[in-house]
Amino acid sequence: MARMKFLCDAERCIECNACVTACKNENEVPWGVNRRRVITLNDGEPGEKSISVACMHCTDAPCAAVCPVDCFYTTTDGLVLHDKDLCIGCGYCFYACPFGAPQFPEETAFGVRGKMDKCTFCAGGPLEDNSNAEYEKYGANRIAQGKLPACAEMCATKALLAGDGDLVADIYRKRVMQRSGRPQTWGWQKAYGAGVS
Amino acid sequence: MRRYCVLALAAVAAAGLGGCYETATPKMYEPGVYKGSQDSLGNKLDNEELDQQLSERFRTAAQDR
Repeated sequence: MARMKFLCDAERCIECNACVTACKNENEVPWGVNRRRVITLNDGEPGEKSISVACMHCTDAPCAAVCPVDCFYTTTDGLVLHDKDLCIGCGYCFYACPFGAPQFPEETAFGVRGKMDKCTFCAGGPLEDNSNAEYEKYGANRIAQGKLPACAEMCATKALLAGDGDLVADIYRKRVMQRSGRPQTWGWQKAYGAGVS
Repeated sequence: MRRYCVLALAAVAAAGLGGCYETATPKMYEPGVYKGSQDSLGNKLDNEELDQQLSERFRTAAQDR
């Protein structure tokens, strides 16, 4: 069984934000919610680096560990998803997540934030696969259709890789060997532990 | 006579109080265990064919041409 992972190759990301647009377009994400975003380190300085960040679907997800209503579950191939019917919008997951992935659609009186929304690896949620209800609540379910996340498939420079962790690691390893640099698997250690794959 | 009245009253009071008793069966939840509905995708991901399809798609989409 595959273990799905994201990896952003900082040497290739050109900060075009196509992944952000693809995600918003594919999942009809509301205004104010960004399931994915591009972060530029040392912006404007020589050697600046950009990385595309979203939920990394951690091996031992801290969001799931702190959730008071236990609305998170991990699929057999490692995708961390949640049930919006259970979510109470407390925001604990937002504080726990090292990547700032959980998003909240509302900001109204008394701190009401609405149900948490985050990247689903384009795998929908706990509703009937590819149903209207699933699409409205969680977005597209491309995985059930045999497709990979839209953000990674849309990436023009193939900086953003999404798929089986072993295959992702293989491709990245080859790239690093070709360009004879040091591997910069940004976020991997935090999300998936000490090992590369 | 009075004694019988007191006894009857006590019996009625006991029956009344007994009727108010409710058996409490609290729902015990295991912390850290997912409480939501099941995702049908979970079963699909065990499908070898889908796994192969995703791997093939990754190879096509992510490798340099």
